[in-house]
Amino acid sequence: MTLLYFLTLFPLVPTLGMLLARGDRARDAVGLMGSGIIMSVTVVVAVMFFGTGPQSFEVAPGTSQVLSIISSAIDVILCAVILYNARKYKSTLTTVLGAVQLVGSVAFAAMTLPAAEVVTATPLHLDYMSVIMVLAIGIVGSLICVYALGYMKDFQAHDEHEAALRGQTAPDRRPQFLALMFLFLSAMFVIVTSDNLEWLFCGWEITTVCSFLMIGYTRTPEAIKNAFTQIILNMLGGIAFLAGLMFLHVNGMPLTISGMIELSGAGTAQSALLVMPVVLLSLAALTKAAQMPFHTWLLGAMVAPTPTSALLHSSTMVKAGVFLMVKLSPLYATYPVTGFMVTSVGAITFLLAALMAISQSNAKRVLAYSTISNLGLISACLGVGAPEAVWAAIFLILFHTVAKSLLFPCVGTAEHHIGSRNIEDMDGMFSRMPHLTRLMMLGIMGMFVAPFGMLVSKWGALVAFAQTGNVLMIMVLAFGSAATFFFWGKWLAKLSGVDPTAQNVEVNVHKTEWMALNTIAALLILCCVAFPVISSGLVSPYLAMVFGRVPYVIGKDSMYLMVVIVAFIAVVLLTSFRVSNKPHVNVYLSGVGTDNYRHFRGSMGHEVKAEKRNWYSEDALGEKRIGPAGSVVCCSIILFALLCCAWIGPERLAMSAPSVLRGKYFEGSGVVGIFIGTVAFALLAPLVGGLIDGVDRKLSARMQGRVGPRLLQPFYDVAKLLRKAPASVNTMDDTYMACALIFTVVGGGIFVSGSNTLLCAFMVTLAAIFVVLASASTQSPFAQVGADRELLQVMSYEPAVLLMSVGLYLATDSFDSIAVTGQSTPIIVYSAPIFLALLAVLTIKLRKSPFDLSYSHHAHQEIVQGVATEMSGGTLAKMTLMHWCETVLFLMWVGMFFVWDNPVSWVVALVVMAATYFVEVLIDNTFARSTWRSCFKLGWGVALVFGLLNLMPILVDVFI
Amino acid sequence: MDHKMSRSPWVIHYDGSSCNGCDIEVLASLTPLFDAERFGVVNTGNPKHADIFLVTGSVNAQNLPVVRQIYNQMLEPKCVVACGICACSGGVFRDAYNVIGGVDRAIPVDVYAPGCAIRPETVIDAIVEACGILDQKEAVMRAGGDPLTVGGAATWDGGVELVEDGFVAAAKAGGAPAGAPAASAGMPAAPAAAKEAE
Repeated sequence: MTLLYFLTLFPLVPTLGMLLARGDRARDAVGLMGSGIIMSVTVVVAVMFFGTGPQSFEVAPGTSQVLSIISSAIDVILCAVILYNARKYKSTLTTVLGAVQLVGSVAFAAMTLPAAEVVTATPLHLDYMSVIMVLAIGIVGSLICVYALGYMKDFQAHDEHEAALRGQTAPDRRPQFLALMFLFLSAMFVIVTSDNLEWLFCGWEITTVCSFLMIGYTRTPEAIKNAFTQIILNMLGGIAFLAGLMFLHVNGMPLTISGMIELSGAGTAQSALLVMPVVLLSLAALTKAAQMPFHTWLLGAMVAPTPTSALLHSSTMVKAGVFLMVKLSPLYATYPVTGFMVTSVGAITFLLAALMAISQSNAKRVLAYSTISNLGLISACLGVGAPEAVWAAIFLILFHTVAKSLLFPCVGTAEHHIGSRNIEDMDGMFSRMPHLTRLMMLGIMGMFVAPFGMLVSKWGALVAFAQTGNVLMIMVLAFGSAATFFFWGKWLAKLSGVDPTAQNVEVNVHKTEWMALNTIAALLILCCVAFPVISSGLVSPYLAMVFGRVPYVIGKDSMYLMVVIVAFIAVVLLTSFRVSNKPHVNVYLSGVGTDNYRHFRGSMGHEVKAEKRNWYSEDALGEKRIGPAGSVVCCSIILFALLCCAWIGPERLAMSAPSVLRGKYFEGSGVVGIFIGTVAFALLAPLVGGLIDGVDRKLSARMQGRVGPRLLQPFYDVAKLLRKAPASVNTMDDTYMACALIFTVVGGGIFVSGSNTLLCAFMVTLAAIFVVLASASTQSPFAQVGADRELLQVMSYEPAVLLMSVGLYLATDSFDSIAVTGQSTPIIVYSAPIFLALLAVLTIKLRKSPFDLSYSHHAHQEIVQGVATEMSGGTLAKMTLMHWCETVLFLMWVGMFFVWDNPVSWVVALVVMAATYFVEVLIDNTFARSTWRSCFKLGWGVALVFGLLNLMPILVDVFI
Repeated sequence: MDHKMSRSPWVIHYDGSSCNGCDIEVLASLTPLFDAERFGVVNTGNPKHADIFLVTGSVNAQNLPVVRQIYNQMLEPKCVVACGICACSGGVFRDAYNVIGGVDRAIPVDVYAPGCAIRPETVIDAIVEACGILDQKEAVMRAGGDPLTVGGAATWDGGVELVEDGFVAAAKAGGAPAGAPAASAGMPAAPAAAKEAE
């Protein structure tokens, strides 16, 4: 109890310290000590929590009342601060909203303070969720404060330099800035430990005003404008919050979260009234979490110094919004209209923000859209209100916190040293800032590829949506993930470029910055590795406590496997471990290259540099096109929910949504099984795949009326490649390619051992990412065009592949491939449309014409074999082997649809696989290569149409 | 299995300054009609993947560095086929002011395949011939030897060196002995020798 007080009040000490300290050294000392103590206290709180378990803390009525008076006073003071600034900068709207809030706050205080009910018996609590948040805020938040110490020195130096050029002096506002950061932490601790909604509201408003002041830090017209956007949107949320509180009070309902949840279970007329405050509080949470239509404040917040963005986006501000929704999530199932509002707004935001992120080249804006998008997914999960979905949401919160808090500071430091935050300027970063870039790559991978926490959480979300029969969300998730993959993938590819001519510019990065960055990176890996422990130790108990049952989302064995792979990737990326020590060769530039970095002798005799820009599709995915549309739809949804509450009788809204939980689980064949499967696959798939390739070439030759090569030609080719003299463009590409081959084989092993098909699909995607890295790292324009096409291909087929797993789940209630053998009918009976979608994208996956966009065994001289341009000898052999393994795996996916518990079915499956491949060869020889646009349209089109066709019955089924 | 190299000859085709007659024939030999894929031939269009370098047309000051760069980016064991009489010796253009000579003025040639224009059958024949040299080179490499002691590189005279970018080409008098320093370094001709000849 004392500890809790200490935790919330202690950050005020460095806050004051910062205001008083003069000079960099004093501030460093205050900052480091303050952060150190906050972190230690956080850890102590967590450790003690594990000793005692979840607790509610009693506060003596007298003290409680005093604290409530203080929090009301703070609310009023905050309103005064807002009104003062609104007057100073002449913002009418802010003045009006501030006045409304002031009147509201005073009225609410007048209503509640004299009443005895404001004295709740246990206004403070510490449960599993609070502890997760306390750890995230305490550790990650403090590290960002440490980072800010060094960052702000550079920032100030830059400002002073600029001002000196204009003949002015730059005011030093760093003390206030750093003080605000610590105050922020204090407010966040209040939010996550308060059960008393009035106190929570106080913390809520402090964060709003703090971020307002931090966004306006530079006092440039743009900063001031964006700060007011933030305050206006968040005050709308604040007023909604206040209205919710008043509604609770007027109707005599408890002003605590636990009280609300208790009441909702009562099933009385009064409990039905709860729907209105839940909608209002959720609305407040959605504004805080920057969901559409309120998302613009988060984008505007990018003008602030980077630590602000890091703090707002990762551990605090936006997380306060989703934290409140986590707390309210049990209510969403009881009041479907609220769940509907939160899920729909979240889902739309998730998808549209991910698409808009594709069109952005400003690194901080990409991060901002990604934050909005992920918060959308979190909200969507929470709105479902089932423990499975909340499990996913909590992990999304956790991993998003850690990965984003690594990425923002990385971008900030990079900006100070390369002079730009544009992704296009990050060419050759791998050589210019080697350590920082590796950390950044780790952070990006942490955001979107398989064994890292973020994607595992998305996997959890997909499973949860499948289990709760939430069909539309499955579709949104499938497409949103594909878009997410693309925008992160192209950034990652940009970063990976090795530039041998570059100078290392990271030598004068501040020590405090390194300290913070390295610790957060270690934390990210630690969280991924400790995933199973966090799940069983913190998240499951929380869900058991709140929902009364423990969800089963991802099998233990899959988790262990992912832990191993995370460790593997971390070793490859962060250590100086290299497989390749081949002699160096320059990149291929049509024979006129002059160095190893894109320079060539132009036709006029002078040197020219080849440039390669990323793919943005501004015309289709620009924020001006998508943003307003999304805002309108989300506004309508919110209005719909509010109108429902106002017009429809509350009794009718308090009906629990009909939901059928599908639950039949397989554990696959365990880690040992996967290992055996992987070994078997590694031995057999190359043989079978090579043979299939040989048959393919023979067949193609026959179709063209010629004899063609020997049947074993592909094996001769690979044997030859392995005998060529070794050479490499850089030290990384062969290592990346080896990783890609390994991940493909592991993916195949997972499938043949009968384990999770989703994990299998993720492994294939992970392999694709490493192929992209291998080719993008060469900095060859040809290879990078190929890498872009590879990314486009993955984005095109990803939804259909995810749907394939969902199709399996539909028929068997399991994601494990072994489940088909227990069925009395083949799953094609249930999932024929999804099967057709898979067939359609198979052409892309098998790299057959018309969709052999990035690499095929047919020569296409215009891009000299795309991704493989710079690969030679052994590296190219690895890629060929990988493609053979992929061919076998994809055909097995096809075969899976035709296997049931009859042994004869294996023959049927083999026949179908052979027929499918024959058709693919036929298509390959019939059609000319098409554009990526048609590839993309086909991939998404079939997935959308056939996916919906197949999944719709579930949606209807619930109501029949 | 000693003959694995020869079972998978991947080619790259480069046009020097030809009249395009030989180019058309080289590409014709790769079409389904002549079905060079019977021998495992694949047209890669990429020196890093290729084993056999098919050059058509003569060498001039513009394309000489290009031919050399492509050759240098190919990995051993590799072979060069001069396709058509211009590539072999400069052909009817050899006295033209801008023509330096055959491909062997730039890089060591392993197989000379004459013809004006070269016939597709000759191209395939030359590729099969080059396959034999690939196997020999590979055998030498596996024994720890230098692949440049096999085929055209062994007796190559080092060709010419561009003294100044663009214009002056100095032909080297006489033939350099086999295994000259130039050959073992993989790059044709030492600049000093070129200066001397001037």
